[in-house]
Amino acid sequence: MNLPGRHLLLLTLGLLLLTGCGAARQTRIHHSQLLSFGTLVDISLWDASPEQIENAERIIHDELHAMHHDWHAWQPGPLTETNQQLRGGEWFVCPPAILPLIVQAKQLYQRSGGLFNPAIGQLVALWGFHSDTLPKGPPPPKEAIASLVARKPGMDAIVIDGQRIRSTNPAVQLDFGAFAKGYAVDRIIEKLIANGIGNAIINAGGDLRAIGRHGDRPWRIGIRNPRGPGVLAGIELSGDESVFTSGDYERFFRYRGKRYHHIIDPRTGYPARGVTSVTVIHDNAATADAAATALFVAGPEEWHPIARRMGIKYVMVVDDKGRIHMNPAMARRIQFESEQKPEVVLSKPL
Amino acid sequence: MKPALVTRADWLVIVASLALLPWLYATFWSSDDTAADKVHIIVDGKELPPISLHQDRKLTIRGSIGTSTLQIEQGRIRFVHSPCQGQQCVHSGWLSHNGEFAACLPNRIALQLSGGAARFDTFIY
Repeated sequence: MNLPGRHLLLLTLGLLLLTGCGAARQTRIHHSQLLSFGTLVDISLWDASPEQIENAERIIHDELHAMHHDWHAWQPGPLTETNQQLRGGEWFVCPPAILPLIVQAKQLYQRSGGLFNPAIGQLVALWGFHSDTLPKGPPPPKEAIASLVARKPGMDAIVIDGQRIRSTNPAVQLDFGAFAKGYAVDRIIEKLIANGIGNAIINAGGDLRAIGRHGDRPWRIGIRNPRGPGVLAGIELSGDESVFTSGDYERFFRYRGKRYHHIIDPRTGYPARGVTSVTVIHDNAATADAAATALFVAGPEEWHPIARRMGIKYVMVVDDKGRIHMNPAMARRIQFESEQKPEVVLSKPL
Repeated sequence: MKPALVTRADWLVIVASLALLPWLYATFWSSDDTAADKVHIIVDGKELPPISLHQDRKLTIRGSIGTSTLQIEQGRIRFVHSPCQGQQCVHSGWLSHNGEFAACLPNRIALQLSGGAARFDTFIY
């Protein structure tokens, strides 16, 4: 072979290697979106067959249907029937779609010191958040709020005996808004694994659980800036981890210049103050979902002991002054995107 | 004398090829190349044909509760107007990177960007 021919061969081989890798990388990732029952689910699957992709979309649709129908806090269904029975205080057979949620929610209520409290459905309704459209204000009368808070609705008032339950407090009305999505994501992931899917992200409206990896690298997650466009930070996930965020920007109304959001502090009956968003990483999505709410309610001063009680190892709290509070293990995982890094307050290790 | 297995000219080409590698990497592999080139719009669960982000235009899309207006400009897209209460879609601002998405859930309109190399696999908010 003459010299130029040999050189050309070398270069061609090099280029072929590059294009080969590129082609392989593009075909093994599947991205799709499913808009189902008011939730936008972003699906990422690595190395899944067409049959597995079809199964995954069906599983997600079915679980969202269950979440929407069985656990809806104000549209007639198993949860509204349960709430009606709880008001009476008598023993009744709990619908099978509701009982496991109550069991898990009771444990999380205890571990959060009552800050994750799905028994305050009446307070959430009083604020006008039990509606498909957002309330316009004014906020409810303070006497009505105080009277409901004084009746101390809590998950400890629900007594379970096999399939039967009763409430010892008629003020208890369940609202699984801070928990149902995490619970549904856990069920979706369990079913995906049973279908042979080992590498996936299920992102349900900004909260997700990721299993496995994106080929030879971890999954990469962008955290949107809660108070503006762009990405605040990036984080890598591998193995099996859930990332859940509670933010005051998700559902809110303004009245006379003041912002009232949907995360109600069960101790005061008012929207929790001092925090813009809380992001939690945990292996279980339902726990991460409940913890994000509990730590939001706890606020920038009290989140640390509650996180420790709940067994949470990674927390990021953005307070209402834009400062970021994190435990050291979380700080090691967060890569800030913007050139102007926000003020970070490091806590003690969790 | 036997001819050398690798001549001086061969070495020159090998060295030149190695020197070329960083450029090849930067051009074909760089993870900065994350700009999306098209948008996929889903209306009421049905996906419309993908639309290029390289042609500036305004799109008006009829959703479940009214009409949303989207703007494409210089490889970016945003919700300009939507008939929803929360206006989260409008507050999402400009999207330009592969994998980014925004949605007006009350109006059942969602959009996701694709093309380019994905820097993030998904986004949380």
